[in-house]
Amino acid sequence: MLARPSELATYSSDGLPGYRLRPRLAVFPTTKQQLIDVVRLLAREQTPFVARGAGTGLSAGALASGEAVVVGLNRLNKIISIDPVNRLAVVEPGAVNVTLTRAAGAHGLHYAPDPSSQTACTIGGNVAENSGGPHCLKYGVTLNHVIALEVILASGEIITLGNASGEVDGYDLLGAFIGSEGCFGVALEVTVKLTPNPQGVRTMLADFMSIDAGARATSAIIAAGILPAALEMMDGPTIRAVEASIYAAGYPADADAVLLIELDGLDAGLDADVHLVEQHCLAAGARTVRIAANEEERARLWQGRKKAFGAMGRIAPDLVVQDAVIPRTKLPDVLREIATIAARWQIQVCNVFHAGDGNLHPNIGYDSRNADESRRVGMAMRDIMNACVNAGGTITGEHGIGLDKLEYMPLIFSPESLAAQCALRDAFDPERRANPGKVVPVHSCREWRGA
Amino acid sequence: MSTAVVQERVRECVNDVVAAPLRITAGGSWLDAGRPVRDAEPISLAGDDAIVEYVPGDLTLTARAGASLAEIARVTSAHGQWLALDPFGAAAGTLGATIATGSAGPLAHAFGTPRDNVLGIEAVTGTGDVVRAGGRVVKNVAGFDLTRLFTGAWGTLAVITEATVRLRARPERDETIALALPSSDAMEAWLAKLRALPFSALALELLNSSLSRALGLGERAMLLARLGGNASSVRAQLEAMRALGDATPAPESTWRALAEIEPAGAAVARMSAPPSRLHALWARLAHLDAGSYAHASVGRGIVRCIHRASASTPVSPWLAHITHSEGTHIFERLPESAWGTVPARTNDPLSRAVRAAFDPRRVLNPGILGDIS
Repeated sequence: MLARPSELATYSSDGLPGYRLRPRLAVFPTTKQQLIDVVRLLAREQTPFVARGAGTGLSAGALASGEAVVVGLNRLNKIISIDPVNRLAVVEPGAVNVTLTRAAGAHGLHYAPDPSSQTACTIGGNVAENSGGPHCLKYGVTLNHVIALEVILASGEIITLGNASGEVDGYDLLGAFIGSEGCFGVALEVTVKLTPNPQGVRTMLADFMSIDAGARATSAIIAAGILPAALEMMDGPTIRAVEASIYAAGYPADADAVLLIELDGLDAGLDADVHLVEQHCLAAGARTVRIAANEEERARLWQGRKKAFGAMGRIAPDLVVQDAVIPRTKLPDVLREIATIAARWQIQVCNVFHAGDGNLHPNIGYDSRNADESRRVGMAMRDIMNACVNAGGTITGEHGIGLDKLEYMPLIFSPESLAAQCALRDAFDPERRANPGKVVPVHSCREWRGA
Repeated sequence: MSTAVVQERVRECVNDVVAAPLRITAGGSWLDAGRPVRDAEPISLAGDDAIVEYVPGDLTLTARAGASLAEIARVTSAHGQWLALDPFGAAAGTLGATIATGSAGPLAHAFGTPRDNVLGIEAVTGTGDVVRAGGRVVKNVAGFDLTRLFTGAWGTLAVITEATVRLRARPERDETIALALPSSDAMEAWLAKLRALPFSALALELLNSSLSRALGLGERAMLLARLGGNASSVRAQLEAMRALGDATPAPESTWRALAEIEPAGAAVARMSAPPSRLHALWARLAHLDAGSYAHASVGRGIVRCIHRASASTPVSPWLAHITHSEGTHIFERLPESAWGTVPARTNDPLSRAVRAAFDPRRVLNPGILGDIS
């Protein structure tokens, strides 16, 4: 248990700059029973709490303030069992994402959701955020891979959601829990599906002299019915940041956009799809399309993408990673609009994102000690959110609402829809002690009309 | 029926302008599924069937709840796309009913169930509020997930009026083959080999011999496999399948025939277990009665039993056999009198709290899920 301000500093922020809140205490149970005891003690004391995994979240969702206690789950990190025959694993909530994939590797399996933070982030955190990652384009997000949860509600009651050994009847409370950002309870054990490693993988890099051309190639590939395992875009500023860093991946430094495209599946037929993708890229104006010749080159191409945030972090003291989703046909329009917004507020936006899903990640490097720059960044963020919503999109695809996006919720949800979300939360946690103040603006949680 | 009219009808119930609760209907073809809803006035979404928005390049489609799966298939196939949901029942079944009942068919092997394919929902809750959940984009974690909550809730929380679904490109090749199943003592090893193939078929469904015969596939129990991909991929998949037995081509229409095979008045139940136990489940359930149908999803470990009642095959021994078996059992259709003999599975305190929050007056499909509703 940590109680001294200096010790609590680590738990006062997450992966998103600009928010610092100090919890009253931080506790770190090391066994499932300790976690149960802690949650039940908090229930008796009527104390609010925030469950926290690795703290890699990007929405200020795992921060606690006032009386609230941080319940750190990172020591509950065991892989309890792996069933290679039924392709299932049971893990503790603090198990690190990539650790599971490594353990499953012995059986030719992996855990498909692969957020960029996968070397640090926890499965419990992934459940809370319904995390995605580059490969969710083909394989789906956390929702599609978790089949059962043992959960302790804020009241201390333990329930099972979903069914690890058959179909589920009744309300999809498992689906409702996944992505509830720690507001519905704490996962004690998570049962996930494991995915067979594909027989063949082809990783390609196409480079373009304009973002527009890259966006058109993306739309063409998706519309042609090819479903890549991943389809990622990086713009010029991102490419140059990566290439100037220790993560240099060999991207052409003079390009204005690159697409990192991965196809996987049965070896037979894979090269035919590679050829089709290449044709679509060239038709959209690609200068070159390169196919990784070996595993080493493939890993290097991916390293640039996965470490892009780290590379950008070297350029400015603070980096804010934005997250929004738009219909895929709107990519060229919205990317142009983001460039206009960046110019309007005189800021530098780097785009590195899951193009195949239409999931944008505009990143803005800045200095949070500079009040004027911070204000301009805030205004640009708001304009970008509005542009995405106006294009028919949503305000977050995988990072969650947390505290950071509360103000945008009314842009996409009516007061009735927000109140209905509160009603669902109240069924799980009527006292609203689990991660209080997150996801739905408090003023929206008026008394649900009822009858 | 527009959303405003649905809202008006629900509010009339909530405000006691009318006494009878509402029975949500549309196509009417699935009304014998689920527990009986008594003393309710129908509220029909039939006719509210417009395709609201379809942008092929986005692979998403928004339609009113009364749109039929057949119409959605017609519109999307013009662009080489499909909504990869093939629930059992008539193609005239509606999008709203598919989502509300969480119904899925053989394609769930590759593409999941409605919860995996629905991106957003507009609905009228039992409090008379119009609620929008999710959105029209393929990835979305904004807010608490009412989309998943309403999907498969059998209309007991809200009347679904509109939905946005994820579409997929039709594979370049889509081929169906039938393979005879091995003897029952060889099934376990054979199924393990099938699951270990290095590709995912679109569908892998076991058929008992009565069903094979009814579908014109011969006298033996069969595996019906649907393989998709480009030409060289499907060629390699066919070759791999031939290593498991003699494969004969079957027409794609076999899948539609399977979806519509159950006769009116049949009792239908689904039993499930981990895929590694499917051989045991199949051995127990494939031949419960002479002439009854059974089929099973290899990847999902679900056996679906269709009992055709007659003088010589009454439903009660069939029912007793199923309810006393291990594994998870879900009843789709039963004679009205039989429902009272099977326990309602959705009756935990949390589900009751959810029901009370969204439909406190129990005006939507009361009784269809049992005690909770």
